[in-house]
Amino acid sequence: MNAFIMQCKVEMIRILRNPYFVFWSLFMPIAFYMVFTKIFNSDIQDKEMWQAHYLMSMTTFSVMGSAIMTLGIRLVEERTQGWSMFMRITPLSDHAYFAAKMIGQTVIHIFSIMIIFSAGAIVNGVSLSASEWMLSGLWILIGSLPFLALGTLVGTMKKVDTASGVSNVIYMLLAISGGMWMPIETFPTFIQKIAAWLPSYNFGNGAWEIIRGNSPEWMNFIILFGYLVVFMLLSSYIRKKQEATV
Amino acid sequence: MNAIVLLEDVTKAFKNKKAVDDVSFSINKGEVVAILGPNGAGKTTTIMMMLGLLKPTSGEIKLFNMDPKEKRVRERIGAMLQEVSVIDALKVIEIIQLFRSYYPNPMSVEELIVCTGLSDADLKKRAEKLSGGQKRRLGFALALAGDPELVFLDEPTVGMDITARKQFWQTISHLKEQGKTIIFTTHYLQEADDVADRILLFHRGTIVEEGAPKEIKMKLSKQSVSFVSEEELTIAELALLPNASNVYQKDGRIYIVTDNTDKILAEVFEKKYKISSIQIEQGRLDEAFEQLTNNREAI
Repeated sequence: MNAFIMQCKVEMIRILRNPYFVFWSLFMPIAFYMVFTKIFNSDIQDKEMWQAHYLMSMTTFSVMGSAIMTLGIRLVEERTQGWSMFMRITPLSDHAYFAAKMIGQTVIHIFSIMIIFSAGAIVNGVSLSASEWMLSGLWILIGSLPFLALGTLVGTMKKVDTASGVSNVIYMLLAISGGMWMPIETFPTFIQKIAAWLPSYNFGNGAWEIIRGNSPEWMNFIILFGYLVVFMLLSSYIRKKQEATV
Repeated sequence: MNAIVLLEDVTKAFKNKKAVDDVSFSINKGEVVAILGPNGAGKTTTIMMMLGLLKPTSGEIKLFNMDPKEKRVRERIGAMLQEVSVIDALKVIEIIQLFRSYYPNPMSVEELIVCTGLSDADLKKRAEKLSGGQKRRLGFALALAGDPELVFLDEPTVGMDITARKQFWQTISHLKEQGKTIIFTTHYLQEADDVADRILLFHRGTIVEEGAPKEIKMKLSKQSVSFVSEEELTIAELALLPNASNVYQKDGRIYIVTDNTDKILAEVFEKKYKISSIQIEQGRLDEAFEQLTNNREAI
């Protein structure tokens, strides 16, 4: 048990010391948030709503990124450097190792959510009810699961370069077309129709609904759950196949 | 039974090419065993199978009478592998503490520092910033973190300078005194000769010789008696001596190759040849090794 707690702690330390994480998951979302709520905000009618809406966009953007990229690239790195193999001769089981990664990652997500929410409260004085803060935070935490599964799918790639290239493209495409940078209403209708089926839109939309006093739509739950199952199945299938070749 | 490592008819084939071909051996508690052989002889593959990282195509491997993948086995072993890089973004001391937490009875940090020669300054460094030699020391520390009974070292001294190497083998003999069992691979013949109780000589996936370094030398290289002759001695005449298997002349000395140097000496004295500066050559393992691998190459 001691080993498991140590492992979780170490995973968190490693994420926090990763400059890419600090830049993409903390610095960039906050910088974007300031730019789009402080500078390019002249023709917006409901400023308060926009400030809360965009805070949710940037928090989901941050968490989605660290779930896909930080996790995925690290998994590839550990495999190519022989580290995951070396772990197999220690008494720590594969499951415990993997679980520690997921827990470490989740704690980091809680940390990111708190930092970015605080930034919103400080910069724009965003004020939501206690239950709205809690529920939107919780939604983002749980909604990150399909993206963690996508991260493990990225983690099955052979080379670090491929993994970081591919995950970067997926991340940006998902973020933009899911309405995390600009509201999806500003897009042409056919893109809006596609976006409604993307995990990123459904992830963001749950949070956007919560701050408007609604609960997330049923479709948000269903689609995110669907992606979770698909990504998990795919990544465990590929992993099994890779292990079989040894 | 005392055997803590047991391999029975183990074969590993990669795409129909046999890397290890029907190998059997056992290792007892407290032994230091060298797996010696040229590159591609199957040394690393054998180590990986013993660790449960590769599955044998056929045959059986037991450590402590159990499957190598069992947790109870992994709590009692440690290993230093090739091509394992250090975990990044962590300080050396953090990695060591992490590894110690995996095992029920870890070695103390103080002891690990003494064993591996890592300095206090090294401990505070990020692992990825260590030099090659320091990384090997860290690898060694991780192998010993759980105070293992059985230690596997795959080419442990590659990348170490002479001082580090010397210190490393001193630590190994110290560990041997504590009753630990050590298995290492090497292609430095001297290391196998100096450190091991027993050598398993691998070539093309099979064990071609097995025994104490001394026995292997005896088996593989003939000894010889050499001297300077003060009278006209023909090679043909010397070749008639009952125990001489070969006679040749080199740099003004005559060499008689034999299985039994004592008898050759007796025979030479009996004939009352006028000879001086007599020497007995033991034949080194290096020669034996080359002889063996070259011979096999020819087959």
